[in-house]
Amino acid sequence: MQDVPELVIWIAKIVLIFGGMIATAAIMSLAERKVSAWMQYRYGPNRVGPFGLLQPLADGVKFIFKEELIPAGANKLLFRLAPALAAMPSMLTIAVIPIGTTAVIGGREIPLGIAQLDIGIMYMLAIGGLGVYGVILGGWASNSKYSMLGGLRAAAQMISYELTLILSILAIVALSGSLDLNEIVASQREIGDWNICTPMGVLAFVLFTIASFAETNRHPFDFAECEPELVGGFHTEYSAMRFALYFIGEYCAMTVMSSLNATLFFGGPSVPFMPDAHWALGVLAFLIKAGFFLFLFIWVRWTLPRLRFDQLMRLGWRVMLPLALFNLLATGAWIAFTGDH
Amino acid sequence: MVVVQRKELTLLERLYLPEVVRGLSITFRKFFEKPITRQYPEQPLPKDAVTRGQPRLVVKDDGNIACVACGMCEVACPAYAITIDGGETDRGIEREPKRFDIDMLRCILCGFCEEACPKDAIFMSDELELADFSRAALLYDIEKLKRPKSTLQKRIDYVYKLNNRWRRAP
Amino acid sequence: MTKINVNGRDIEVDPKQPLIRACHDHGVDVPMYCYHPGLTPVGSCRICQVEVAAAPGQPARVVAACRTPVSEGMVVSTDTPKAHETRRECLEFLLKNHPLDCPICDKAGECDLQDYTFNEGQARGRSSEARRKLQKRKSLGDVIVLDEERCILCSRCVRFYADVVKKPQLTVEGLGSRSVINTFMDKPLTGNYQGNLADICPVGALTSKKFRFQARVWNLSKSLSTCAECSRGCSITVEALRGKEVKRFRPRANEAINKWWMCDVGRHALAPVSLPLAPEGSALGGRLRAACIRGYNGLEPAELHEALAVAADLVAAHPRPLLVLSPFATQEEAGAALELARALGSRVCFVAPEPNGMKDELLHTGDPCPNRRGLSQLGCEALSPSAVIEALKGARSALLVGERVLETVGCDALGALPSALRLVVFDVVARDLAALDACIAVPTHVEKQGHWINVDGHKGVLNVAVSAPQGVRMLDASLHALLQMVRATPAKA
Repeated sequence: MQDVPELVIWIAKIVLIFGGMIATAAIMSLAERKVSAWMQYRYGPNRVGPFGLLQPLADGVKFIFKEELIPAGANKLLFRLAPALAAMPSMLTIAVIPIGTTAVIGGREIPLGIAQLDIGIMYMLAIGGLGVYGVILGGWASNSKYSMLGGLRAAAQMISYELTLILSILAIVALSGSLDLNEIVASQREIGDWNICTPMGVLAFVLFTIASFAETNRHPFDFAECEPELVGGFHTEYSAMRFALYFIGEYCAMTVMSSLNATLFFGGPSVPFMPDAHWALGVLAFLIKAGFFLFLFIWVRWTLPRLRFDQLMRLGWRVMLPLALFNLLATGAWIAFTGDH
Repeated sequence: MVVVQRKELTLLERLYLPEVVRGLSITFRKFFEKPITRQYPEQPLPKDAVTRGQPRLVVKDDGNIACVACGMCEVACPAYAITIDGGETDRGIEREPKRFDIDMLRCILCGFCEEACPKDAIFMSDELELADFSRAALLYDIEKLKRPKSTLQKRIDYVYKLNNRWRRAP
Repeated sequence: MTKINVNGRDIEVDPKQPLIRACHDHGVDVPMYCYHPGLTPVGSCRICQVEVAAAPGQPARVVAACRTPVSEGMVVSTDTPKAHETRRECLEFLLKNHPLDCPICDKAGECDLQDYTFNEGQARGRSSEARRKLQKRKSLGDVIVLDEERCILCSRCVRFYADVVKKPQLTVEGLGSRSVINTFMDKPLTGNYQGNLADICPVGALTSKKFRFQARVWNLSKSLSTCAECSRGCSITVEALRGKEVKRFRPRANEAINKWWMCDVGRHALAPVSLPLAPEGSALGGRLRAACIRGYNGLEPAELHEALAVAADLVAAHPRPLLVLSPFATQEEAGAALELARALGSRVCFVAPEPNGMKDELLHTGDPCPNRRGLSQLGCEALSPSAVIEALKGARSALLVGERVLETVGCDALGALPSALRLVVFDVVARDLAALDACIAVPTHVEKQGHWINVDGHKGVLNVAVSAPQGVRMLDASLHALLQMVRATPAKA
């Protein structure tokens, strides 16, 4: 194991983590329908494969074989580019998430995370902020009023909530004293150290969770699609695999947000009451935590109705932002007062 | 004029988050309840005498259909689904259909034909499934419409019961 | 004229007509079974009973309107409770033995008994005895079937033979409820006017064998037309099942020509108007679709303009063709043909077959040319089929124009013509004649609009009862198109 080149290990990590995320997106597409069905006294997809487990595969085949339409008058280059732009940022940001502590295989220490960046969170926010381009370009390039409005709303919403998102993360950064996600994880080894267990952490968690819903355009903030008003929103004109790409992007973004939520507030791979647990257990703990937040995404979607757009904006600017600012201030005061870290 | 008074919300309700949690708990409870979906092809629909399926021609016990091609159902049909051409027969009823077509794609299963029939020749069966690969295959002729009386007996009895209700009226 | 008051309205009526006719002429509905405007009234059914007072203020009595002559100052009310009650009771007796046959009966939908029963609200009978059982399918000759159970003994059929044909053949035999209509000595009916019995029978007792069970009458679309079988040109109604298939010809009342009657020859002449189409891709073996021209393999189907081009070439190559019209050509078609003939410098004649010996004293003239008078008036020369053949022998080219023209000239005689002659035919059916270069399809007389002039100079109208098959153009339109082509290509000197 010692003499395996570093590159091979890197590639293996990339394949595993990246593949895992794509697989998660596929599973999520099934889980979304299954969970919604169970909440509504239904069965959900159950015809393709046992319990409908092969449904994502069938969907994939269908998407690939469907005809791709490009509307007349659409900007062809941007129209083709936009879905990729939408899916790419979330796929890139998974690189800095530590899905475990350091694995020890054959006496060799391998950090579980594709990249160990000192400024992991900065990278994440910078790349994640690009996601808005996919949506707004897709909406604009379609040459359709519904797409255009959907794209505009998405842009307004993402910019509004990105502030809250960043401010709530900053509180955690202040608490942990590092921008490196590995450091943040390392600072929460025991359950008592988890950021959720601090008063600022709780508020930051609530703000972060709400903002992450808005960032991923999920219910109850899915104004970019908003079927009753905008047909399909920014992806009205998309079909076949390009349409699927938007959804893969959405599910990947959800995966990233869930992972980040687990990492920032719940110690990532930290196993409760077992600070020295085996690294594999840590990975499992991380997956369970992230999985819960993925479930929360679905759970909320099938529970809450969509907000009105003015309500969304009022909530973002008049409630979430002041709260996030207050939280950051309070965190600073807390650190100054206790002299922690 | 109706004045709708908006409900005064308490602080907790206005905070919204507790209500969100309450909503989440409701959906979570439903999560474990038994689905009420009917798995259709495996679990067929319940059928009773009141089931108004596709119209069918009664084949009497002597092997003949009761239809005399009077054209009442053709006239009653609001969807113009029925086409009848009559012809002479040596049987006692003198007239029988040479052609009795129901375009099942047009039929709306309203049951007017059954009501119009003076000869108890056409009844709504409990057959509901209707699918094929061509339009021509769904243009049913006499042979496709024939059903032995025994299979329609439940419906016949039911229709008689219904009709007796108004027949008794003065 | 006599002044009477009907239902509070003062009207002036013909004193020679019975009261019921006066009522009908002025839009007052009085039911009738035994009365028929063309027959002697007998007052046997009593359904036409109305209340009549000799003068205003006089006591009113219930009388049969068909047997009551009108008198000055008479006050008639048809709508009083008493009149209704009398008619309703009368109807109940008529229905006593009438079978509940309506689903089977051919008359259903145009049956007077059914209509008045419906109007008077006679939904159920009070009688508990069984209905009488009589013969249901009694053949009265080749045309008519009698259902004795349905008969209400109005005796219209008996009087039709006595009054109109003037050769009595039917009678009421038996007594009381066993009275039935029968022919003398059970002989089958004879003559050319048997079909009228099915029309005048107010119920479904007398039905036509040819039409029996063929169609429900409410599915028949009716259009006004003229009979094509002789030069009388009886006014008829063409009735087509669902607007597609001609099912029967019926006379329509026209005092000037045929009164209420028509002969069986005309009534049953359905064959010429219900020819099946030729098989797809073939010009022979049925009605011609669009047109055909002579190709390497005999007659081949062609587009209309191709056949017209052949015709235009022919008349250009052989100027002054003989133009032979069919006796079925309408005035409008003949006009178009004459215009073409003037442009070509042709001689125009029409085929006039010899009288066929069907002539009788009532309607049939024996002359099988429905438009003989009209064509003669337009200046066409009437030639017998043999004379037409003679004329064709002297010609190098000819146009045979009109429905059934080949048939009336005689296909055998045409086939034997010298091969130097070239023919262009406008007909319903193409024949494989050696001389025939092109044949252009025309509509039959139930598929077009137009006029015929009958033997007495009355105008007979033709209307579209069924649409012509796809691709078949109206004859006058085809002739006009040919005329345009002829004018565009001047004939060779």
